[in-house]
Amino acid sequence: MYIDPHIHVVSRTTDDYEAMRKAGIVAVIEPAFWLGQPRTEVGSFKDYFSTLVGWERFRASQFGIIHYCTMGLNSKEANNVALAEQVMELLPLYVGKEGVVAIGEIGYDDQTEAEDRFYRLQLELAKEVNLPVLIHTPHRDKKKGTTRSMDVSEEHGLDPKMVIVDHNNEETVKEVLDRGYWAGFTIYPHTKMGSDRMVDIVKQYGPERIIVNSAADWGISDPLAVPKTAAVMRKMGIPEEHIRLVTYQNALTAFSQSGQMDEQDWLNAKPVDQTRKLSGNSVLRGGQTPRVEGDHDTIEN
Amino acid sequence: METQKDLTTFLYQILENSSEKTSLDWLNLQAEKIHTEGSPTKFFLAFSQASRYFKKLPIGLSEDQKQKASKLVAGFDPSHWDLLQTARTILLLHFPQEKTSWFKAINQLFETGDMHEQQALYSALPIMPFSEELLPRAIDGCRTNMTVIFDAIALNNPFPSSYFPEANWNQMVLKAVFMQRPLYRIQKLEERRNLPLANIASDFAHERWAAGRPVMAEIWRLVVPFLNEKFLDDLKKAISSEDLLQIKAAVLACTESDFAPAKDLANTYPEIKKEIESGAISWEKIGIEFQSRV
Repeated sequence: MYIDPHIHVVSRTTDDYEAMRKAGIVAVIEPAFWLGQPRTEVGSFKDYFSTLVGWERFRASQFGIIHYCTMGLNSKEANNVALAEQVMELLPLYVGKEGVVAIGEIGYDDQTEAEDRFYRLQLELAKEVNLPVLIHTPHRDKKKGTTRSMDVSEEHGLDPKMVIVDHNNEETVKEVLDRGYWAGFTIYPHTKMGSDRMVDIVKQYGPERIIVNSAADWGISDPLAVPKTAAVMRKMGIPEEHIRLVTYQNALTAFSQSGQMDEQDWLNAKPVDQTRKLSGNSVLRGGQTPRVEGDHDTIEN
Repeated sequence: METQKDLTTFLYQILENSSEKTSLDWLNLQAEKIHTEGSPTKFFLAFSQASRYFKKLPIGLSEDQKQKASKLVAGFDPSHWDLLQTARTILLLHFPQEKTSWFKAINQLFETGDMHEQQALYSALPIMPFSEELLPRAIDGCRTNMTVIFDAIALNNPFPSSYFPEANWNQMVLKAVFMQRPLYRIQKLEERRNLPLANIASDFAHERWAAGRPVMAEIWRLVVPFLNEKFLDDLKKAISSEDLLQIKAAVLACTESDFAPAKDLANTYPEIKKEIESGAISWEKIGIEFQSRV
């Protein structure tokens, strides 16, 4: 069993869902993010947030995958201040909903003043509703941005164990772990991590508080990054228990602090409820052996 | 107003037997606050967070309770509800019913609701105020592709038969057929049968046959009052099927019809007729058997 704790499944096809289920993914977390181009109306945010708790969750369930999400205003779009203020008014409507497991992904992109302002407001919101925080660390000037994210989070009094710092690399991981945070690693070709590098990190730092995800979205990315990375780890002799921690248990432990995610959700899932099935849709059910083999089991870097 | 109070009491009693005391205390506190403060934000938050206190377990109504429900509001039938939606409905009934602010809040709730919140809202349509003005909302809700939401409107709910104009009613019934939902749970299905719907049902059956797919047996209930040579040909085709359920349904339709050739056809199936007379075959039983196969 695997959890992909960061994937934007709204952008993925049913083929992906089928392949994910077949590869052993039982649950996913979909962080609210941007859509590849900036939104210009608050209504677009409203409908997007509603999709995350509505249609997409239903769609995932048809493939036997339990769908959770995080709610937040992403750092890129925080820079449209007038719009961002309206989104902040919208968020309280969604953060208390079933299956919302964190405030996120929030943090810095260009590390502007506006990003800082809305990041801080959302840290306060997370404290108020007692939800974990999922931090997106920037692509550019990453090391400084990561340190600053943690500094500000501590300034607002958040406990590091309630915060998942995502998109780490070799340069950021040590500080993130040393300061007591969960460290997310995104296996995403070209811009983030490759699976071979991930193996080295688990070898060096061990499995504690390390979480692997795909962040698969509308870009060239791989919704099977988590099971594929597990397969590479297996091949490279990483102990099975360590693989289980970084591709399943750590994500569960971190995000279930929300009270909104429970292993029983998938272990005890009824066979896909027929009354919820759409006419004509087939559903993959349990019993398939997770199977990831072949030439493409390494994600190119 | 009195009915609203009786409804809350009724729903609260249902929860009392099957929920934790701490959950009930939470519900009481929230309901009271929502009622006195009328703050939409508090209402939205409590409506969402009810999922932390109440489970999606069936409420399991007794016969007495079922009767009580329909006495409170004609046709009101929460027998398929769960604990969570019952709690959410109690919160909803406590929000002050001043029309402008009520619609503002309810519209926002409909627009931002997750699947189970929307399910709760649509099933509560018959006990909401301002029914007539909720008609566009109910019609729009039928456009969903999420079965639980469609069911919340279409099944065990008196709202559509009371308020839907014929075209929307027919679309809802056809969609129920298309989604293979149990037609016997649509209230006043027989009273609101009409010729255009019978023709739509027949066309749909022909489409299914052309595609080599089976036809839902309950569909023949829709043609009964309008049986003529054309519909009788459809029933003959159903009777020639190898599926006993199709045959039973077609014979039942013929038996209920006033069209003499249909009655004659039914008479050639004396054993099935006997079962119909004894109540062993009914539309509900046909529907239940069909659902057990879906």
